[in-house]
Amino acid sequence: MRFVLSIILVLALSGLAELWLPWWSVAVVAFGVALLIGSRPAKAFAMGFCGVGLMWLTVALLYDISNDHILTGRMAKVFSLPNYGLFIVVTVFVGALVGGMGAWSASLLRRGLSKEN
Amino acid sequence: MGKKSSLLIGVILTATTCGLVYVLNRPIGALPALGRLLDPVNGCWANAEPVNEDFSGVRDIPGVLQEVKVWFDDRLTPHIHAQNDRDAYFVQGYIHASFRLWQMDMQTRAAAGRVSEVVGEKALPFDRKQRRKGMVYAAENSLKTGLANPASKLMLEAYTDGINGYMATLTERAMPLEYKLMGFKPEPWTPLKSALLLKYMADDLTGNVDDIALTYLRDAMPADQFALLFPERDTTSSPVIPKGTIFEKPSLAAPLAPSDSAAFPHFTPADFGERREDGKGSNNWVVSGNRTASGAPILCNDPHLALNLPSLWYEIQLQSPGMNVYGASLPGAPGVIIGFNDSVSWGVTNNYRDVKDYYLIKQVAGNSGKYWFAGNQVDFTTRVERIAVKGKPDVVDTVKYTIHGPVMYDDKYKDKTGLQRMLAVCWMGHRGTNEMLAIYNMNRATGYNSFVSAIMNFECPAQNMAYADRQGNIAIWGQGQFVNKWKNQGRYVMDGSDSATLWKELIPMRENPHVLNPERGFVSSANQTVTDASYPYWYNGSFIETRSWRINHVLGGIQKATIQDMCALQQDTYSILAEKMLPKMLSKLNDKASSSEHTIVAALKKWDYKLAADSKEATVYQIWWTNLYWDWWRNRFDKVPDQLWPSVERTMQLLQSDDIDQIGLFSERVNASFVKAMDSVHALEKVNSTKKTDDGGKWYMAKNTSATHLTKLPAFSYDHLKIGGWGNTVNAAKGGHGPSWRMVVQMGKEIEAYAVYPGGQSGNPGSKYYASFLQTWAAGGYNKLHFLPNAASQPNPAIKYTLTLKPKA
Repeated sequence: MRFVLSIILVLALSGLAELWLPWWSVAVVAFGVALLIGSRPAKAFAMGFCGVGLMWLTVALLYDISNDHILTGRMAKVFSLPNYGLFIVVTVFVGALVGGMGAWSASLLRRGLSKEN
Repeated sequence: MGKKSSLLIGVILTATTCGLVYVLNRPIGALPALGRLLDPVNGCWANAEPVNEDFSGVRDIPGVLQEVKVWFDDRLTPHIHAQNDRDAYFVQGYIHASFRLWQMDMQTRAAAGRVSEVVGEKALPFDRKQRRKGMVYAAENSLKTGLANPASKLMLEAYTDGINGYMATLTERAMPLEYKLMGFKPEPWTPLKSALLLKYMADDLTGNVDDIALTYLRDAMPADQFALLFPERDTTSSPVIPKGTIFEKPSLAAPLAPSDSAAFPHFTPADFGERREDGKGSNNWVVSGNRTASGAPILCNDPHLALNLPSLWYEIQLQSPGMNVYGASLPGAPGVIIGFNDSVSWGVTNNYRDVKDYYLIKQVAGNSGKYWFAGNQVDFTTRVERIAVKGKPDVVDTVKYTIHGPVMYDDKYKDKTGLQRMLAVCWMGHRGTNEMLAIYNMNRATGYNSFVSAIMNFECPAQNMAYADRQGNIAIWGQGQFVNKWKNQGRYVMDGSDSATLWKELIPMRENPHVLNPERGFVSSANQTVTDASYPYWYNGSFIETRSWRINHVLGGIQKATIQDMCALQQDTYSILAEKMLPKMLSKLNDKASSSEHTIVAALKKWDYKLAADSKEATVYQIWWTNLYWDWWRNRFDKVPDQLWPSVERTMQLLQSDDIDQIGLFSERVNASFVKAMDSVHALEKVNSTKKTDDGGKWYMAKNTSATHLTKLPAFSYDHLKIGGWGNTVNAAKGGHGPSWRMVVQMGKEIEAYAVYPGGQSGNPGSKYYASFLQTWAAGGYNKLHFLPNAASQPNPAIKYTLTLKPKA
């Protein structure tokens, strides 16, 4: 439950952050949330990965569906990808990876700096 | 895992994450910053315009004086209703920028030679050439004139403010996609940029430079042969101003020509310059009411320009008190360039009279700051051109200016073929001409006299302006500012140290060739020779005859012309060249060739000479003819550095003469080129055909008409458009050139107008309006134009969205 909630927290906060801040603020959000909520490194990575990934996926799909895939179709061609679906996958993966890395780093730092053993 | 190792790994991972972000946040080589680009919130995704986007709205915009309505129809064509002239041009700028900002930015950068600043070193040769030509110098001169006149000043400044008004509202998210891909941002607009855009068009249309090649060729062969291959005029021309038109007595006498040896220098093969570019052309014509079914004149125009995306043109209607005009506008410039208003209509084709000459400059020995002119040592003036280059230090080029114009080529800037001599260029476009004012008045013309007064400010590029009005008048003017030249002045490179070679008196523009309501009942132009020999002033130019022969032939036989007939003529793919050459070529074909390719030879014998999209005969003929033309002249001209070969028309005339039959060489060449052509055709069929289609050998596949995005990205471009025609047919759809705007306007009681262009109203590749007219255009279709009355409310059901722009208190 806590895991799901933390994903939702990353999703919501990173979405909000991007309204005013540059794209890489998603890494900072994932980092911050993981620092706040202690969890095992693998779980932290999954949280950041899923949180940011889902946020990017949601926004991307909203744009893509209302646009009838016009833009994704062209962008897929720019990146020599066979179809627009793969362009969505690549996009979401980049965001998710950055989010996951941010959270993973934070969980390890937190463990390294924590007072208990 | 211990605490220490956790900390260590944590620090390493944090650093790695930062590194990843850093890498994704900056461009690598030609790749854009991937993180920024892929970010769905602010990156390229934000350019995915919803297909049901609502363009309606109410906006408070600082700079708007009174409320302005913008009605968009279903094709996203804006109909702008302003209550004063300033607002009309302000909102035109605002709307142009909303849909075409990046294109406007790039085209004016190209004009000014500032492309390297955003794409890097690869554009440096292009930028240097623009600076050497004096493009910014030219635009600055025109800007001065433009700002000195209240009407053009109003246009330039209001339009500029409108663009900047839009940019002030532009967020990073809403930035055009290309900025995100290329990683730069727009800068504020200035009136100079609009002036630059018009000079860019002028340069595109008056850039022909046969002077240098002809200078060489006239020395390289006997005079009679030179005259035979490169006649000064095509005597078989069906000129713009019909033969037999009586010209007024000239007010200026022909100037005295200096002696040949004083006027012209001589070149050796090592001195050479640019390759000839041809195929730019356009058609316009008007059929008088007594030869149309409706009784009203019909005006048609299709200017042939580069087929780029976003398209060069943007369709628009502009209304203010005293103005209600509709047509094609250039994003980057105010007003309507080609179109009609509630009284008159007009269309333009390039006039091609030579207004660009080269001068050989003799620098004073041992003093690089002075040159010889009329026996005196004269100081060069200089202009320092600083070119910013992305990721590299600025490049500085000091360009010397002479009494004739800027020194285009010298030892610091050689043409790609290594021109060794110092040449200055004298161009009408360098002068402070005010075409903006002409556009202002043409858009408001109420009849023939006011239209003629308006075009007296249209000096460069010279255009054949076809005209029709609702009173039934039709006319055509070979309009532009020309110099009263002595015979052959500027046909070859001139000696720049002799004052006799200077451009002197200007021909009064009212004496430009024109005709009003000619007896034959129509006027037309297609870049052919402007007049017959009875025109009193001497001129030369790079004229193209083929399309005009066909247009004048069709129009000459037409009685009750309808709008459909006119559209059909714009789509006409009949090749006069094929009609004249193919029977002769077929007659020389030997048995061996005809038997091995008997199917195609039989088909060619029955062919209707139409370069239709689906025609295989067209492919064979065109490749065969090109090979024949090449083989015929290659031996003679291949060694000529500039590769100026006799024109296609001239070649056709020479090959048709009976003398040719005496030369065995002709049938030998015909057969050899046929064999070569068939090899190419078979190769084409193989390459272009796939499992899905066997269209490989069809004409449209072979010629590959494409609409290419300005970045050349295939993802934003369209190729192999299914369209017929070629440069020598009325429908002149070539590879990257073609009818860039097709318009047919019937000037009756109710104006009935149709148009189409190969693009769409939006410049955004993520919009459904990006290339929405392209297939219609290729298939020969038209859009019916909604010409709205000049009124504050519009019941027209075609209006889909209403945008209201209000002054901000």
